Amino acid sequence: MTEHTNKQFDAEMEAIRSGVLSMGGVVEQQLMRATAALEKEDDAGLIDAVGADEIAINRLQVAIDQQCAQIIARRQPTAVDLRMILTVSKIVNDLERIGDEVKKIARKAVETYGSARLAQVRIYDAAKTLGTTMTMLRLALDAFARLDVVAAADVIDRDAAVDAAFASILRQLVSYMMEDPRTITPALEIVFIAKSIERIGDHAKNIAEAVVQVVKGKDVRHATADEIRAEIAQP
Amino acid sequence: MTPIVRRSLAWPAVVAALTLATLAGAGSAAALAVGGVGAVAVVAYHLWHLWRIAAWAAGPPDARVPDGYGVWGPLLTLIHRRVRARNVYEQDLRNVIARFEAAASAMPDGVVVLDAADRIEVANPRAQALLGLDAAHDRGQPIVNLVRQPGFLAYLEAGDFGDVALVPSGREPARMLALQLVPFAAGRKLLMARDVTEREAVARMRREFIANVSHELKTPLTVIAGFIETLQDLELDPAQRARFLGLMREQAHNMQRLVADLLTLSALESEDHPLVDEEVDVAALLRAAADEAKLLSRGQHAVDVDAGPAAIVHGSHDELASAYGNLVSNAIRYTPSGGRVALSWRIGPDGTGVLAVADTGIGIAAEYLPRLAERFYRVDRSRSRATGGTGLGLAIVKHVALRHGGELAIESERGRGSTFAIRLPASRVVPAASVTSSAAPRGTAA
Repeated sequence: MTEHTNKQFDAEMEAIRSGVLSMGGVVEQQLMRATAALEKEDDAGLIDAVGADEIAINRLQVAIDQQCAQIIARRQPTAVDLRMILTVSKIVNDLERIGDEVKKIARKAVETYGSARLAQVRIYDAAKTLGTTMTMLRLALDAFARLDVVAAADVIDRDAAVDAAFASILRQLVSYMMEDPRTITPALEIVFIAKSIERIGDHAKNIAEAVVQVVKGKDVRHATADEIRAEIAQP
Repeated sequence: MTPIVRRSLAWPAVVAALTLATLAGAGSAAALAVGGVGAVAVVAYHLWHLWRIAAWAAGPPDARVPDGYGVWGPLLTLIHRRVRARNVYEQDLRNVIARFEAAASAMPDGVVVLDAADRIEVANPRAQALLGLDAAHDRGQPIVNLVRQPGFLAYLEAGDFGDVALVPSGREPARMLALQLVPFAAGRKLLMARDVTEREAVARMRREFIANVSHELKTPLTVIAGFIETLQDLELDPAQRARFLGLMREQAHNMQRLVADLLTLSALESEDHPLVDEEVDVAALLRAAADEAKLLSRGQHAVDVDAGPAAIVHGSHDELASAYGNLVSNAIRYTPSGGRVALSWRIGPDGTGVLAVADTGIGIAAEYLPRLAERFYRVDRSRSRATGGTGLGLAIVKHVALRHGGELAIESERGRGSTFAIRLPASRVVPAASVTSSAAPRGTAA
């Protein structure tokens, strides 16, 4: 390859990387709005904005996937570059799924607010956990921008806290439902919200694992936290 | 010829002269020897200096320029002077850069220098904190990879940098950042970041307040304008006319009250309006409030007064009277006829004074209590306006209480009635001698 095509190739690679991160920015914004929607009383404007974000996210997913396919077809990248493109398309998938979950949360939040006061108390915990997943996503995307495996490992660690919070919300809801059957309907809505939040944590963790993979060239999807740390420690 | 060139030729000239002299006096063999030895000595002398200079040039940058002898002496002194001048110049430049960096770090705003491709070159500590950057590792990183807010991206792409981009902070979504790009030399840009959370909150409050005030003023005006049109267009009998004029006067009164309350609030808030320190006789204040209550009630409520221990409160008489009067008139307005309104004054064991109004009125549900003292906050809009409320009364009471270092305490239960109390700190309450306490007026009136 001549120097000119090399440069152009580098620019294309840089463009898909920045594309993923800007898509991540839209997802972060959407998550932020959903958290606000959970914390405040139902705000129709926020819910609409979350829906609009979701549409933008889907459009970005298609565009970036197309860019990836074109690079593979036209440039036949190898080794590190190929790994980067495969990782990008994985991360794009996770981001799109987060967008879906966030939209579900926002919709459920509206329905729940209509119903009971119990909801408001429990939803507070859910909003806090959603805040944790928002931090996870931010750190995961930062780790991808910097290709920082240590930060990525930190994100993977944090997922345990989200899982624990999900279990605790579930336990509390069960005790409410046993005490008073009238709370079952709103409690079920909150279970769905909590489940979506837990899924967002998982997707953020997937993104962090993809970062480790692109840097270290090793699939750590089913590795334990200690194994991942050991992998990172290797030069 | 410069002196150095002349001097450099001196020794070779001496050697040449000696050689010629030997040739003339002692023959060619001796001349060869003298010339050879002389030439070797001259070359050795130069080589020795050359090596020393070579060693200096290859050595550390701050090594001293070697001394020299003969022709090398002044030459090396010249070099030494140049080196020293350059060092001073470099130190000056270094100081300038250090000062510039110190200035950039001291800036209250975040500053990031971006290159022509919008990559991060330098970021001051404030920018690192606000935007979550790490200057050591993020050099060369496209700024949009780390500042991912879609609002900023759109701003960057639009290219209109006269404006600023308002985006939530990535780390703390509750905080708002104002980001502005300033293009400078060769396609580079400065990214300025400022935390504008407080400013935005104040701006929002002002917007809401103005919207509320306009709405509150518009409502009575609409009514009055409607009646004026009716009176102009229709022939009405005197009884109807009188009724309409009465309604108009009522609305005009509402507006007057609202404007008066707004003026009170703005006076309470203005800083060039310090709290006056008067000795306020609580018993007299209570009596005046009770008289006002009876006037407002028109005999429909039982008004109890429990004047408690006689005391003097340090503060503004007018403000306290207006605040307490507000509470009393609220109690009357929200208590159905036949109810009871109790005015009381107590001094707690810790010396705090409590000026309270308890009623047996409609009460307020718990969820509304936290927002009750907000301006224009009303639990039931139609009811409040129907009874002539401006929506500012409790805001005024709260302000007065705060200005006196106290607070407004509200207890209420739906359907059972409410107790509103102005708590005043012990430092402002001076109990009178215990003799007067038993003689304090204690009255009940229906």
